[in-house]
Amino acid sequence: MVRLVVLVLFISILTACSSVPSGLKHDPKSQQSYEIQNKDSHDFIQQDDILRLDEGKHHPAVQVLLTQAEDARQQGLPLQALSYIDRARQIQPRNSAIFYRQAWLNYQLGELQQVQQLLQRARLFLRSSNDSYEILQRRIKTLQKKVDAKRGY
Amino acid sequence: MTTAKKPTRASKSSTKKSATSRKPVTKKKPSKSASSKSNPRTWKQRCWSWCWRLSIIFILVLGTWLVYLDAQVRSQFDGNKWTLPAKVYARPLSLYPGLLLSAEQLKSELLWNDYKAVSHVVIPGTYGRDGQDWIIYRRAFSFADRNEAAVKVRLSFSAGRIAELSVAGKSEGLVRIEPQYIGGIFPAHHEDRELITLQDVPPALIAALIAVEDRAYFEHYGISIRGILRAMKANVAAGRTVQGGSTLTQQLVKNFFLTNERSLRRKVKEAFMALLLELHYSKEEIIQAYLNEVYLGQAGRRSIHGIALASRFYFAKNVQQLDLSEIALLVGMVKGPSYYNPFRKPDRARARRDVVLNVMAELNIISAAERINAQGQPIQVAKSGRAGQREYPAFIQLVKRQLQTDYRLQDLQNTGLRIFTTLDPWLQHATEKSVQQHVENLEKRAGFSKPTLEAAAVVTSVDGAEVRAIVGSRRVRYFGFNRALDAQRSIGSLAKPAVYLTALASGRYDWSSIVDDKAVSVAGQDGSLWQPKNYDKKDHGKVFMVDAMAKSYNQATARLGMKVGIGQVVETFERLGIEKFIPPYPSILLGSLSMSPLEVTQMFQTYASGGFAMKPRVIQALTTHDNQVLTSYAVEGRQAYSPELIENLRYGLQQVVVQGTGKRLARTFNTTKIAAKTGTSDEQRDAWFAGFDDRHLGVVWVGRDDNKPMPFTGASGALPIWQNIFKQSGLEPLTPLVDLDWAWVNAYGQPVEEDCGGIRKMPFNSGSLSGREISCDQQKAFSGPQVDSIEKEKQGGSSWFDWLF
Repeated sequence: MVRLVVLVLFISILTACSSVPSGLKHDPKSQQSYEIQNKDSHDFIQQDDILRLDEGKHHPAVQVLLTQAEDARQQGLPLQALSYIDRARQIQPRNSAIFYRQAWLNYQLGELQQVQQLLQRARLFLRSSNDSYEILQRRIKTLQKKVDAKRGY
Repeated sequence: MTTAKKPTRASKSSTKKSATSRKPVTKKKPSKSASSKSNPRTWKQRCWSWCWRLSIIFILVLGTWLVYLDAQVRSQFDGNKWTLPAKVYARPLSLYPGLLLSAEQLKSELLWNDYKAVSHVVIPGTYGRDGQDWIIYRRAFSFADRNEAAVKVRLSFSAGRIAELSVAGKSEGLVRIEPQYIGGIFPAHHEDRELITLQDVPPALIAALIAVEDRAYFEHYGISIRGILRAMKANVAAGRTVQGGSTLTQQLVKNFFLTNERSLRRKVKEAFMALLLELHYSKEEIIQAYLNEVYLGQAGRRSIHGIALASRFYFAKNVQQLDLSEIALLVGMVKGPSYYNPFRKPDRARARRDVVLNVMAELNIISAAERINAQGQPIQVAKSGRAGQREYPAFIQLVKRQLQTDYRLQDLQNTGLRIFTTLDPWLQHATEKSVQQHVENLEKRAGFSKPTLEAAAVVTSVDGAEVRAIVGSRRVRYFGFNRALDAQRSIGSLAKPAVYLTALASGRYDWSSIVDDKAVSVAGQDGSLWQPKNYDKKDHGKVFMVDAMAKSYNQATARLGMKVGIGQVVETFERLGIEKFIPPYPSILLGSLSMSPLEVTQMFQTYASGGFAMKPRVIQALTTHDNQVLTSYAVEGRQAYSPELIENLRYGLQQVVVQGTGKRLARTFNTTKIAAKTGTSDEQRDAWFAGFDDRHLGVVWVGRDDNKPMPFTGASGALPIWQNIFKQSGLEPLTPLVDLDWAWVNAYGQPVEEDCGGIRKMPFNSGSLSGREISCDQQKAFSGPQVDSIEKEKQGGSSWFDWLF
C-alpha cells in the first residue's frame, strides 16, 4: 500500500513538472512547435525529412495555417502554401519549425539560394529547450545536405 | 383588261414638258434670265432637284454618323465598361489565442473598419462588448487566399491577451477581421467605384431613382418628348432652368460617352446615342450601368462613382443595408452631389431627402407612415475622417513603386486588382499622430511663426521587414513629395553603427577596446582638411569603444573608421543593403552621405533582424478583381552578418539607451532593452532617430525642406516622435538572439577574471575570450598599456590613416 501511494505521488510530481505553465500556454511568442517523427517510416532519411507541412504540434493559429498550407501544397499551389507559411511566421516570427517549412517549400520550388538563407534562420531560432530540438535539427541538416548535393558542394 | 394609273410626279412633269414643246417656236432665242423669269417651274424643279440631292447626302452622312455612333456605343458598352482602379487593403487583423491586443486597439480597428457597436449583435459589421468578452459579427470577405463567410466570433481577454476564441460555439485557432480599404491606384481622372449588379440593389432605390429622375423610363426609347416639353414649360414659367428634360438613358450617355460641354451638337449626339443604346440594350442593363456610373461626390482627389461606393463612403454600409432615409438621400444627391453633400451641407441634404421621400409617397412607392418615419430621422452619415475615407499617400506611393517593378502602371490603374498589404492601421495611426503633434510642438519651442519643419517616419516589423506604417510629410494626407522615400538627407551619426560593425567584424576590436577621442585631421586629395569636432566641442581622451558609440563621439569614430579602412566601411554599408554608390570619403564615417528614411530603415533592418538583410516589404498578395491570385510574397533575405556579430553590435546600440544620447527612453519605458541611435547632421540640418524593440523598428527624420539649420538634434527633434509611436504601439523589450560571452574588463579594456579589478562587464564573441582573460595576479602586476598604444589591437595591421600621421 505504501509503495502504491509513493508511486502515485511520484507520478503526480512528474506530471506536474512536465506540464506547461498556464501563463505561457497562450503566449505565441514563448511557444515553439513540436516536430513529430514519422513513426511509420523505417527509412532513416525519411525519418529526418518532413512529409507534411502540418506535422507536429504547434500553436493553434500556426496549426490552422500549416494545415491550410498543406492543403494548398497538395492542390499544387506551392506559392499559396508559402503565403500561409508566411502568415504563420508573422504570428511566431522566431519559430524555427516555420522557417524550416518555408525552406522545405522553397526547396520543392528549386530556390536553393533562398533555402540556404532560410535554413540559417531556422538554425538561429532553434532552441535546445525545444522538445523537438533534435528532430528539427536533424531535419534541418538533412535538407541542408540535399541542398549542398544539388549545388554540387 | 387595263387599269388607269395615277400619273406619277415624273410623268406629270413630262406631260407638261411635251405640252410646252407644242407651242410655236419664236425666232428670237430667249436669254437665260428671261427664260428663268418666264419659266418659274424650272427654278422650282431645280430647287427640288437640289433638295433631293442634299437630302440624299444628308441621309448618307447621318447614316454614316449613326453607324459610327452605334459602333462607339456598342464597343464601349460591351465588356468592361469602366477602368477599375486597384484597391489597396491593409493587413487583416488576425485574432488568435495568446495575441497581445489592447481593448482600445480592437475597438479602434473595428470602428475604422466601419463596424458598429450594438447591444444585440445580429448582423454582420456589428460588435458588442461585455467587460472582457466581445462578440464580433465578422462580414463575409474575399481574402487573397480564400472567400470567408460572415461569422459571429466570440473572444475573451485575460491579462491583455486573447484567452479564448470561438466561432459558433466551437473553439477556433485563428480568425481574421477583414482588412481595411486604405486607398487605390487611380488613373489620371481619379474615378473610383465599386461595381454592383441590379439584383443587389434594393428595389426601393431603383424605384426612387426612376420616380425622381425619369418617371417615363420604362415607356420611352431613350429620349422623352413629353419630358422635354414638360421641362421647357417649367423653365419658361420659372424664367430660368429649373428642370432638365434628359432621361436616365441620356444622363448615362452624357456621363459615360460624352463631356459636360453645353452645346446643341453635344445634345443632338446625346439624343442619338440614347436611342442607339436603347436599341441594343435592355432597360435593366441600362439602369445597372447608370447605378454604377453616376457621380456622387468627391473625397480629396478621388471621385466617388456608383451607388455601391457612395453607400460605403457616406454611410459605411453595403447598399443592401441602407434604410429608406439613406436611400432617399443618395437618390437626391444625384441632382448635385456637391450641393447636397451631407457632410458639409446637412440641412440642404435633409431637405432634398425629404423631397425624394415626398415623391416616393406620392407615387405610392412607400406608405405615408414610412415617409413620416423616414423624414423624422436625422441625417446620419459615417464619420468623414474614418479609415474607409482616409488615404495613406506615403504608403500607397510605396505600394505603387514596388508593384511597378513587376506590373505596368496601366494594369494597376485600370484592371481592378486587389492589393493586400502589410500596413498596420493601429501603428500608422500612432505614427501619424506622433509626427503631427510633435512637429507642432517643436515649432512652438523654436518660435517659428509659420509651418517650417517637415518630418518623415517608417515603422517595420523586426523579423520580416514588413512596412507597418509610413509617413512622408507632416501633412499626412498630402499626395506630393514623399520624404520617407525620396528625401535624400545627411544621416549624421546614424552611419556610426556601420563603422563600429566594421571594427567588430574585423576581429581586431571589442567593445572594450580603447579608442582615442582627440582632435583628428585628414588631408583630402585636393589638399583640403577634414577636421571633425564633437558636438560638445570637447576632447574626451581615451574611452571604451562602446562609450564612443553610445555618446556618439565624432573624433573617436573618425579615428576608428580611418583605422579599419574607409573601403571596409563602404563595404559594410553595401552588405547592410544600401544599393547606391557610396563615395569613399572620410566624411562618410560621420554620416555625410545622404539617404532617405526608407534606406536608413533598410540599413537598420539588418541590425534589428540579427544580420538578415531584407528589403522593406509592403505587398502580401496581389489578386485580380475576381480573386485570382497573381502573386503572393513571403519573407526573403540573406544572412549578411552572423547573428553573433550583430548581437554584439546590438549591445552597443543598447548602450545608447543605457548611458548615451537615448537615455530618455530608458526612463520612459522603464527598460534599457531597446537598441537605438540618434543622428544629427552638420549644423543641425537633420535630426534622426532609429531604434528597435523586439517587434518593431522605427526610423524618424525631422528637418527643413530648405535644408537650413534648426535648433534640434536627433535626441530632441526625432527621438520624441519615436518614443510616442512606441508608447502607443506598446514596447516589447529586446530578447537576445544568441548568447555572447561576458567578462569584466579593466580600465584598459582587458578582460579580467571576476573580482579582479574589473570595472565594467562587456560582451565578447563566444570563444573569443579563451586565453585572453587576465588572472588576479597578472592584473596586480599589470601596469597598463603603453602610451602610444591608442587602440588595443589583437592583431597587427595598419591602414593609410597610419602614414598620414
